[in-house]
Amino acid sequence: MTLIAGSIPIRWQCGPLEIAKREKTGALSAEERSVIERWLNPGALDLLRGSPVDCLILGWAAGLPQDAEQQRSTAPLAGEARRRGLSVVGWVEGAANREAAIAAARAAGLTAVAVEGFNGRSDFPVIPWGPRSNAPWESAGVVLPVTENVWPGLQPGAGSQDPDAGPTSLPWLDSNGWYVQLARARVRAPVWLMFDPPGKGRILRAQDYSMAICDSEAPGGRWVISLDDGLRAGLLAGSSSALETWQAIARTSAFFRDHQEWSSYRSLGRVGVISDFAGENLDFSGELLNLMARRDLLYQVIWKSQAATAPLTDLRALVYADTAPPAPPLRRKMLEFVEQGGLLVTGPKWGTQGRPATAGFNTIFNVSAYGKGRLAVAKADLSDPWQFSVDTQLLLSHRNDVMKIFNSSSSGCTRFAASPDGKKAVLQGLSYSGGRSSMRTVWTWRQFRSARLWLAGAAPVTLQAQPSDEFAGAEYHLPEAAAQPYFALEFEV
Amino acid sequence: MINRREFMAGTGLAGLRLARPARALAAAPSAPVAVARCRSYGTEFLSATEKMFDQLGGLGRLVKGKTVTIKINLTGVETTRLDYLPQGRTFWSHPRTVGAVIHLMDKAGARRIRVVEGAWVWPASLEEFMLKAGWNPDLLLKAAPAVELINTNLPYKGSKPYTRFPVPRQGHLFPAYDLSTAYAESDVLVSMNKIKEHGTAGVTLSIKNCFGISPTTIYGNKVPLDEPAPVPYGGRQEIGHNGSRQPPTSSPSEIDPKSPRQAGYRIPRFIADLVAAVPVHLAILDGIETITNAELPRQDATRFVSPGVLVAGTNCVTTDAVAMAVMGYDPMAERGTPPFENCDNTLRLAEELGVGTRDLNRIEVRGVPVREVVFSFREHGGPRTPRQPGGRRGA
Repeated sequence: MTLIAGSIPIRWQCGPLEIAKREKTGALSAEERSVIERWLNPGALDLLRGSPVDCLILGWAAGLPQDAEQQRSTAPLAGEARRRGLSVVGWVEGAANREAAIAAARAAGLTAVAVEGFNGRSDFPVIPWGPRSNAPWESAGVVLPVTENVWPGLQPGAGSQDPDAGPTSLPWLDSNGWYVQLARARVRAPVWLMFDPPGKGRILRAQDYSMAICDSEAPGGRWVISLDDGLRAGLLAGSSSALETWQAIARTSAFFRDHQEWSSYRSLGRVGVISDFAGENLDFSGELLNLMARRDLLYQVIWKSQAATAPLTDLRALVYADTAPPAPPLRRKMLEFVEQGGLLVTGPKWGTQGRPATAGFNTIFNVSAYGKGRLAVAKADLSDPWQFSVDTQLLLSHRNDVMKIFNSSSSGCTRFAASPDGKKAVLQGLSYSGGRSSMRTVWTWRQFRSARLWLAGAAPVTLQAQPSDEFAGAEYHLPEAAAQPYFALEFEV
Repeated sequence: MINRREFMAGTGLAGLRLARPARALAAAPSAPVAVARCRSYGTEFLSATEKMFDQLGGLGRLVKGKTVTIKINLTGVETTRLDYLPQGRTFWSHPRTVGAVIHLMDKAGARRIRVVEGAWVWPASLEEFMLKAGWNPDLLLKAAPAVELINTNLPYKGSKPYTRFPVPRQGHLFPAYDLSTAYAESDVLVSMNKIKEHGTAGVTLSIKNCFGISPTTIYGNKVPLDEPAPVPYGGRQEIGHNGSRQPPTSSPSEIDPKSPRQAGYRIPRFIADLVAAVPVHLAILDGIETITNAELPRQDATRFVSPGVLVAGTNCVTTDAVAMAVMGYDPMAERGTPPFENCDNTLRLAEELGVGTRDLNRIEVRGVPVREVVFSFREHGGPRTPRQPGGRRGA
């Protein structure tokens, strides 16, 4: 079975290596040990029957004494997976002997191995993987697995009705959406997000898993499904609630598989964020992307290495927050953008240019007029990405919004993107609050020829555009049945 | 001497009455109030308000050559809606009513027109707040030449961001309030908002609308102890609602820090003080469309209604008294009776400060008689459930 870009993977946590790793990091209960052992049984693959999951990620080598035993004991499972048409990828990490792991994978008939930071040669399929902060961008792998991700959702205790939640304190939200957008702008291969459910003590519901999928898929990535021990125990025991949760996972995964084309769409955001996204620049610009998304300030990621040729035609603003000034050609390009009417928001090292202008509010930037546009240069070294994002949004003005979702205080990963040929667009909204979403009204800056509402697991519904009472553009009213954590509005332009 | 009902009401009204001599209620002035039917926000509103202003003696008499400040009501978070309905149809001032009034003010010779609100946002301008909410600010900005939009939750531009406004007759809660200097530069203050109920204050009318003139840089949560915050950090729960702390020492402290720390005691006094300190010269209340049972959309409790009525007057207490009658309430109602089940009657407190009378027998109603436009908010309300203390409130 060949691993393909559209594969839907699941982390299959089983075997002695998994037990050894867990024992190293903390106490392992007898029940958890039992689940891990029983998950090794090839019969456990019955769970995947009828689901879109077609790829197992198996722990393969970690530089531990249990590596060889793991490879031996998973052989029946891998064989059965192959027989069922599933691809099997061995996960190699830590101080593992890579050559030995690759050889063992070949011998065991695995589809591929995923090796951290692999940049050598091999006649066996090897997928390089890496942490967020050091992703193997030059990888030629069919997919790009990335670790160090977060379990998406509102942090416990950060409810949107918290009386202290106010203008400066939106509930804290964890999302991987910004990173997926960043990665998708750099590589063609699908980005696989590796993250496990939060630790013991938190009971996950079906909607939590669905949100983990939506948060990854809406911006164009893919979550490597990872089930918590409680759910896996429930599935082994035939629990109906566990089965319902699994079916929700399968349903949501299938939905995105069926809309794979959306992942190739290009953001309609009007702010271009230029960075090399490396080292401390990743810390600041990455967090900036995260917080801009939290404010529904939609953006396009522009890697500095690609900026010279990147089209800026649809943009109203550029953000350049890297510590080092841009090289002269890029600086010239950004200045041309400003001269033609754009806004550039940047750090203090840019220097003074143009005629002083007023921002109209208390801001961390000195604003000047330059050509037909404006320059906003930070008054001091950049240290607060939240304030940077707030001021950028105000400098750009909500007059340049392309969409609004009303009653969406717990959103934060809205994606509005257009197909490469410009004939279609899709707006995906996520509500992380859990329970019923109150997102009911969507405003777009223009009216589209047609709109269809998609909910995971349901047939599409045609929506009529409503005139916006007081503003240009159009409104789309989601039916009450759509009060779910995720929706997609697909437009014909 | 307090009666049994006042006694039962507990510390609120009873405490006040025992602590102070009765005020000379009869001295509170009266002023006529205009009432009109109006079903829509277009030209019907424009002609209805123009007629009402004429019934009140003409707008020119009030605004010609003056700086007019229109305090609108944009309470809460900018993207909140009740179902699909724009905020202007439910719990905010409607942008077309504001635009129409600006137009009429300009036509009547106003020298300068400013639209103000303490918008729940940080640190954005009022214009940006409106844009985020889906309003078109040009409806206001282009309704007359040189219209200004000012977010009075932010320090006012220039060297004097705040001005102190003493409360006549000492005040109920504070002896004076530090407010945006925009209010000091104003000749005519217009309070313009929906006719609504309010979870803490009973009703939101032209007096309650003025809660939002207190800057959250001074009366907001988490402000510094000794000086105003450079930007707002939150709502007014700590100082305005529950009195868990005092404003910064740069502003006047409470008259009696031992008075009840209850929102139902404090909010009515806070707003009565404000309208005594900063007189409202024109109150315009929109009951064309609104909500019942709350000042902000609340799940399953709030109802959208269309009473189809406008109320306007040159005295905020008389105007609110007539509006209460239109809502099916008695403006003489005391604490413990609808709509003041959990709070003191703001109108009475403002009356005690000499702002105006709430006695309908002393108020001349012009235009449509009240009995012809009564719209019972209670009968049209949803289920009423007790609120948890300390939650977010609006105006």
